[in-house]
Amino acid sequence: MEKLKQNPIVKKLGLNRILLVCILILMFVVFKVVLGSKFPVGDSIKSTLNYVYFLGFLSLGVTFVIATGGIDFSIGPVMFCCALVSGYCMTSYKVPCAAAMVICVLIGLAFGIFNGWLVSYLSVPPFIVSMASMNIAKGIASVFTKTQSVSWPLASDPTNGWFRNIVSYKGFPVGLVIFLGAAIICGIILYNTKPGRYILCLGSNTEAVRLSGVDTKKWNMLSYVICGVLVGIGALFFVATYTTVQPGYGDQYNNEAIAGCVMGGTSMVGGLASIGGTVIGVFIISLLQQGIMAFGLGKGQQMIITGIIVIVAVYADVSARRRKN
Amino acid sequence: MGDVILTMKDIDKSFPGVHALDHVNFEVRRGEVHALMGENGAGKSTLMKVLTGIYQKDSGTITYKGQEVAFHNTREAQDNGIVIVHQELNMVGDLTVAQNIFIGREPKKGIRVDDKKMIEDSKKLFKDLNIEIDPREKMSNLTVGKQQMCEIAKAISHKAEVIIFDEPSAALTEKEIADLFVIIRDLREKNLGIVYISHRMDEIKVITDRVTVMRDGGYVGTLITKDSTKEDIINMMVGRVIYEDPKEHSMVAPDAPVVLRVENLNAGKMVQDVSFELRKGEILGFSGLMGAGRTETARALFGADPKQSGKISIMDKQSGQLKEVTINSPQDAVKYGIGYLSEDRRRYGVVVQKSVNENTTLATMEQFTSGIFINKAKEKEVSEKYIKELATKTPNGDQLVVNLSGGNQQKVVIAKWLTRDSDILIFDEPTRGIDVGAKNEIYKLMSKLAAEGKSIIMISSEMTEILRMSDRIIVMCEGKVTGNIDISEATQEHIMDKATRNIN
Repeated sequence: MEKLKQNPIVKKLGLNRILLVCILILMFVVFKVVLGSKFPVGDSIKSTLNYVYFLGFLSLGVTFVIATGGIDFSIGPVMFCCALVSGYCMTSYKVPCAAAMVICVLIGLAFGIFNGWLVSYLSVPPFIVSMASMNIAKGIASVFTKTQSVSWPLASDPTNGWFRNIVSYKGFPVGLVIFLGAAIICGIILYNTKPGRYILCLGSNTEAVRLSGVDTKKWNMLSYVICGVLVGIGALFFVATYTTVQPGYGDQYNNEAIAGCVMGGTSMVGGLASIGGTVIGVFIISLLQQGIMAFGLGKGQQMIITGIIVIVAVYADVSARRRKN
Repeated sequence: MGDVILTMKDIDKSFPGVHALDHVNFEVRRGEVHALMGENGAGKSTLMKVLTGIYQKDSGTITYKGQEVAFHNTREAQDNGIVIVHQELNMVGDLTVAQNIFIGREPKKGIRVDDKKMIEDSKKLFKDLNIEIDPREKMSNLTVGKQQMCEIAKAISHKAEVIIFDEPSAALTEKEIADLFVIIRDLREKNLGIVYISHRMDEIKVITDRVTVMRDGGYVGTLITKDSTKEDIINMMVGRVIYEDPKEHSMVAPDAPVVLRVENLNAGKMVQDVSFELRKGEILGFSGLMGAGRTETARALFGADPKQSGKISIMDKQSGQLKEVTINSPQDAVKYGIGYLSEDRRRYGVVVQKSVNENTTLATMEQFTSGIFINKAKEKEVSEKYIKELATKTPNGDQLVVNLSGGNQQKVVIAKWLTRDSDILIFDEPTRGIDVGAKNEIYKLMSKLAAEGKSIIMISSEMTEILRMSDRIIVMCEGKVTGNIDISEATQEHIMDKATRNIN
């Protein structure tokens, strides 16, 4: 094992990530072997990808927040709030589709600013802030839409159907390209820019960074803002694949997004984040959802399994740290 | 000295990439105080951790009271009578003294805790040790010295036969150290085996019977204390003699301009009407007892903690004139060219989970960025320049700071402020927890910086350090400045007199 770790290729890619990819492939093979025709390869990949798109953006976003040592439990409901409010503007107030898309991302941004400001400048614990804004997001969506579900235009819609091209264009998975592109940008921000450096450092030791003359509040807030924007983008991918959104839901995606992130090697205590790991983690979570559905299990079982995954992943992180010390 | 109670023979321990203990021998007799010395990273703590079961040895034998033992955790070691009194005290501030001593093994009366018995037992413990502490007092109300006494009482209550003191004097005043020594001598009379880990040479001479020296994970040798000199021990530790005489006169030019003037600074209870001046190229020592308000003054000056009032003037680089400035945050302070090196490096100085490179550029990110992108090549170049210049011991700049020793972590913090070209540097206990060899390097570095025209405020609780480094000494007591002494007039007695000025 030690020898394997020292191998230059393994070192470069990270043993963790290689193992995760192996798990992903193994899961796929197991599903295929066990389920046979109930798990058609092409369709399964397609539906997994559809799930990856929106969940991936949530996971990337929350990676920034967790890197600072914070947490955001509002991402799922905020994503629904974005999709509902902007969609309702389009269907009921005749706002053009392109403008609605912008509004969608702006709502995400607004929540990011709100959460970040409360956490950084007013020092309200992130756990409380995100729990509260989760309810606020659900409430706003319900009030604004008068508790009706909202449907975004279908691909067949002559004027607005084009917006679905963000997911796929003539069978080509545009969504995958956009998602991976976003992940690369996130990676560059986190590892190669000043904001990313500050976010990681303050996640590790806020006080030392502050005493170096760095405006830690600003950079801490930025992580929530980045998260908010990514959640807004995630909302677009959600409606582009699943069309209809209902007010009052979205909680389950919190756990799934956080699971993807933590499984990928981002530490819940902050300071350590892996964008590559998050991407693979999201694929695993998404494939798992498809597998569970193919097994004929329901939402309830799905939630139990994701819950367990979060606990196992966090426990693995905690115990790895304990061994190191 | 009585018979041998504990023998560690040929102890070997490796961690991935590090040979931490290389066939080390160590023995303790009943009724002796045995010093364990060595630079940081020499393996003293590792050896004690192997003894108390925190680490498991790779090879070698531990014989305790005639039987070979291998403890699996501190609890097991404790139950067998081997106890560590840690450098950082492990006490719960909100509980009473008695509750702390009996934590986890409270005497019961039915299902209720028998407070009365707990207090009686504590009283008896203190009486045996000749310590005057009320067991009903809240732990957080005691001084650090008294808390340490409680820690010792707790060790005794475990029926300890071997007590290991890990740098017990690091946070104590001279008076408290004297009290501690009385207790240690008393324990020796009672035929306990005592291991004493410390960097302070003077203490070793006063309190110990034998000295075992370690270097780089290996066993160097054991000396009888009274038959050996300070230089003997130091030579065994580092292989070179160290110069420790006090400075005789100020090195500051008589016409050196004032670079910082603080007037009537007030910040909470610990900083009251503090005024002083710092001149170019000066090392201004801040002396005083624990809790005199020196660190609080530095933090208020640096903007790390809020202040109520006070005027701070700093020399403007262009005009050379003193100009009043407003410092409300560390950002402001850094902007005006002040750098602060905290006494607690791991908490306030470095980001231990990040690399040397990343820590070096933390205060000067804008020098290493074009747009928002970090120029990692330049970062590496500058960081490696400082690694070389300061002789920081690290395999390379990518090494995580957590893997460096205390002295080298301090150098990383110094590098951080040097990249910023800060003119005023506040060193808060610059050599706390740093071994003799590295200490000397830090001193040389500070002298060099001062000679180059940087101005230094040095807070220190070590009298030898104050007398050796300072050009002038500000003495504080209970939040007030009680003395401002030129080095040519400074003596230990003089400073102590001022440092206890307000105390009745």
